[in-house]
Amino acid sequence: MKLTKLLPWIVGVSALVLALFAAMPQGKVNGFDINGFAKMPVLEGGRVKPLDSVARNSLLLIRGKQSVRFEGKTLSADQWVLDLMFRPEVADRQPVFRIDDPDVLGLIGMKQTSNAYFSFETLGPHIDELEKQAKAAQPIDAKKRTRFQSAVVNLYERIYLYHRLKNTLQLAGTPGLAVQIQAVAVPQAAEMHSALAQLALFRMLPPLAGQKEDAWQSVGEALEAGAMGQPLHPGLQPLSRIAAAYGAQDAAAFNSGVTEFQSLVSSLRPGAMSHANNEITFNRAQPFYMGMIIYVLALLMIFVSWLWKPDLLQPTAFALLLVGALVHTAGLAFRIILQGRPPVTNLYSSAVFVGWGAVVLGIILERLYKKGFGTAVATAAGFGSLIVAQHLAEGDTMEMMRAVLDSNFWLATHVVTITIGYSGTFLAGAIAIAYTLWKHIAPDPDPETGKALVSMAYGIICFSLLFSFVGTVLGGIWADQSWGRFWGWDPKENGALFIVLWNAIILHARWSGMARDRGIMTMAIFGNVITSLSWFGVNMLGVGLHSYGFMDSAFYALSIFIATQLLLMGLCMMPRRFHFTKPSEKKA
Amino acid sequence: MTNKYLLKAWDFISSFQLTIVSLALLMLLVLFCTLAQVPLGTYGAVNMYMRSFFVWWGPEGSTWIIPVFPGGTLVGLILTLNLLASTFKRLQLTWAKAGLWLVHIGLILLVSAEFVSAALQVDDRMAIEQGQTVNFVENSRSMELAIVDVTDPNFDDVFAVPATLLAKSKTIALPGSPITLNVKHYFPNAELSNRGPMDPPSIATMGVGPSVKIEERAITSNENEMNATSAFIEPVISGRSYGVWLASIALGAPQSFTHEGHTYVISIRPTRHYLPYALTLKKFSHDVYAGTDIPKNFSSLVQISNPSKGEARDVLIYMNQPLRYEGRTFYQASFGKGDTLSILQVVKNPGWLLPYISCVLVTVGLLVHFAIMLRRSLKRRQEKVS
Repeated sequence: MKLTKLLPWIVGVSALVLALFAAMPQGKVNGFDINGFAKMPVLEGGRVKPLDSVARNSLLLIRGKQSVRFEGKTLSADQWVLDLMFRPEVADRQPVFRIDDPDVLGLIGMKQTSNAYFSFETLGPHIDELEKQAKAAQPIDAKKRTRFQSAVVNLYERIYLYHRLKNTLQLAGTPGLAVQIQAVAVPQAAEMHSALAQLALFRMLPPLAGQKEDAWQSVGEALEAGAMGQPLHPGLQPLSRIAAAYGAQDAAAFNSGVTEFQSLVSSLRPGAMSHANNEITFNRAQPFYMGMIIYVLALLMIFVSWLWKPDLLQPTAFALLLVGALVHTAGLAFRIILQGRPPVTNLYSSAVFVGWGAVVLGIILERLYKKGFGTAVATAAGFGSLIVAQHLAEGDTMEMMRAVLDSNFWLATHVVTITIGYSGTFLAGAIAIAYTLWKHIAPDPDPETGKALVSMAYGIICFSLLFSFVGTVLGGIWADQSWGRFWGWDPKENGALFIVLWNAIILHARWSGMARDRGIMTMAIFGNVITSLSWFGVNMLGVGLHSYGFMDSAFYALSIFIATQLLLMGLCMMPRRFHFTKPSEKKA
Repeated sequence: MTNKYLLKAWDFISSFQLTIVSLALLMLLVLFCTLAQVPLGTYGAVNMYMRSFFVWWGPEGSTWIIPVFPGGTLVGLILTLNLLASTFKRLQLTWAKAGLWLVHIGLILLVSAEFVSAALQVDDRMAIEQGQTVNFVENSRSMELAIVDVTDPNFDDVFAVPATLLAKSKTIALPGSPITLNVKHYFPNAELSNRGPMDPPSIATMGVGPSVKIEERAITSNENEMNATSAFIEPVISGRSYGVWLASIALGAPQSFTHEGHTYVISIRPTRHYLPYALTLKKFSHDVYAGTDIPKNFSSLVQISNPSKGEARDVLIYMNQPLRYEGRTFYQASFGKGDTLSILQVVKNPGWLLPYISCVLVTVGLLVHFAIMLRRSLKRRQEKVS
């Protein structure tokens, strides 16, 4: 009896401690203060962020993961970027380019094997051919490219990103930054300065006192300014020492260089320094990844609870759900503070927020109805949406907002309301799926539970109709403010209207008695199809003012999702235990 | 007998079944309209599916078409009727139904707003270069043939003929001017190129026309493409012909002829509406985020001068912050020419306020209704417990 009270607390607290533990900075690696360097602020993509963010996002784009396996060890993104910038000869041997397309593999003389990762050294002899193929495919509209063309352009862009990163702080294959600084005014060096300025991926030298907030300089730009006779940027010398020390693997010199550079940046731009510090903590904590793991654990536990010791396991699963929600919420709050914007700013963050909304609603349902169904649907929705978010993360997820979207008021009202509408529709769908499975699997389904599930779904559908309608109309008002028309039948607007209409149909079908429990639940599952189409499908059309980008592989994922939903709808319509021979038939 | 049928019709019009069927039809239309935007463009797809009574279809290459699906206008009308009928039939005037009343009135308003804007909304644009003053808006969806008397440097006398009239008539007299136009040929859309030595001779005799090869093209409704409206015309003044000219939106250089000291410039251009006031672009600004080409903001500082009201003031138009003036709304839409040209979208929609009101009504209505339902359900649960 005591254990039922204690276990939820033990499990919940230990999950929370584990999640917090991940946010701790990692110690020195082989004596190098890598974290000290990775937390330095740089300007990239129009905003100040820690170097760590650039490293993680670049590696994610190039390799699809935030770490590299090399010579039996796992390198962090920070270690990788340091190698790439200061020891390119080592980095070039690390297998970071993921290539799946068999035709592209054929182009570089490789067969499709279980190993899909290749080093720059391996690609080296084929770069000219890859460039030729990519240049031929680039003028073709992205939507009209063949699979090979898309793959080769994609690989070429990743190689170019790698190349830029390699040549941001010093030119690869030259004696190094220190020598270039010494020869800053030599006329022959001008070409090197401008090459460095053009290739630079990020700007690491902070604006000097009295300069504008966004006047960050890249090393190349600072050298160009120096060559023109202006005083050298004070950050160049420490950077050159850091570069040389890391190249020579001299930990002590590296660490002292980092300390010197840190104190310079802190004195020039303390705000940028602390922002970068916060963001690196966020990067390390990976709250959405942590939340995903906690949700899936809770989901597994709730499944077990229906078979074994429900009194013990259901509260424990609920405790895990609460911790997951806590981590998820903290992550959202952290993002909002870092970015200074409402929670939803792009497709990635919409997935994170849809999941959050569904989790919160699910927690409320669990409090109202108990039985673990609320926990099950909340964890399933949270886990599912965070997985989707993981796959939507392409590069920087906190990128700057384009002018037309740059309105915190409308992002906070229209976008948030409509996203909550998505959450609700998905949650209703999840409840309906739970109902379907319960109906077919439970050994002795009591009508009581069935009624409870239907009224849960009904309540949530009302809720989503409210939010999706208000969100849609607010979107119309925003459009009226910025484009001059309230409604233009744009694909994204149509998608939103789709959800509103479908929810309205479900409610009218219930009020008129045309659909009863089973019908309502089947329709609620179809709501998942409608919502996923309106959320992602319209982006695949690639027309209209609203589309955020074309997604290729997402198309297959979406098709599979829709197929499963249609199957579940069929299952929901079927009478219970249709697959068992009826007793009467057995006798005959 | 008639009473019985009327009752039946009334039952049908006010039935839930009709609501659900119309909503489902509307959903399908929305789906078709979305998918059709890839080949047809938004404007074409909306006209085909939404702003029509029927969706028409005919086999490719043939001229006959048949209605295959109810269009948005028809479904919208049925839905409105159904909404009105069922509101009066089923909704009792009680406080318990107050929420639903608000929702339905709001919805009727919203649908009528869409009808109003379909019927009355006018979309134009205004392109102003820095320092320039412009007193007209242009509609790039419709063209006009303009004969402009530019003799007086202080003002232009404009005689304009809508392009659609060129399609219908052979001769057009321009009221207020001595000119009569003979329309030799009209092209709603065409492709112009340099006439090679092997090409057949042009029917134009004056201007650039004789050296241009012109081929008719199908009309496009795609936003990103423009119809190169063109025509061969012959201006005649008191029996004297001034030659056959090729006028086209695709031709840049002005062409003109002179009659009794008056110089007339011939062109085809987007239809202009002249305003009783003028806008001067003082400054256009456009910033990007440092080190990227992501636009951070666009804004146009314009001066409105309205002599009839004695008004002359500066206004800053930027994203999400349009200028509403004299029934028209000016939005920052685009820019060009190295950030010295600002393009404003100009919209006239008398019904623009309706959605705002409707939004408030429906939101409040839904909130009230769901609150009433929630209270009822909680009460029921409590009764069950006790």
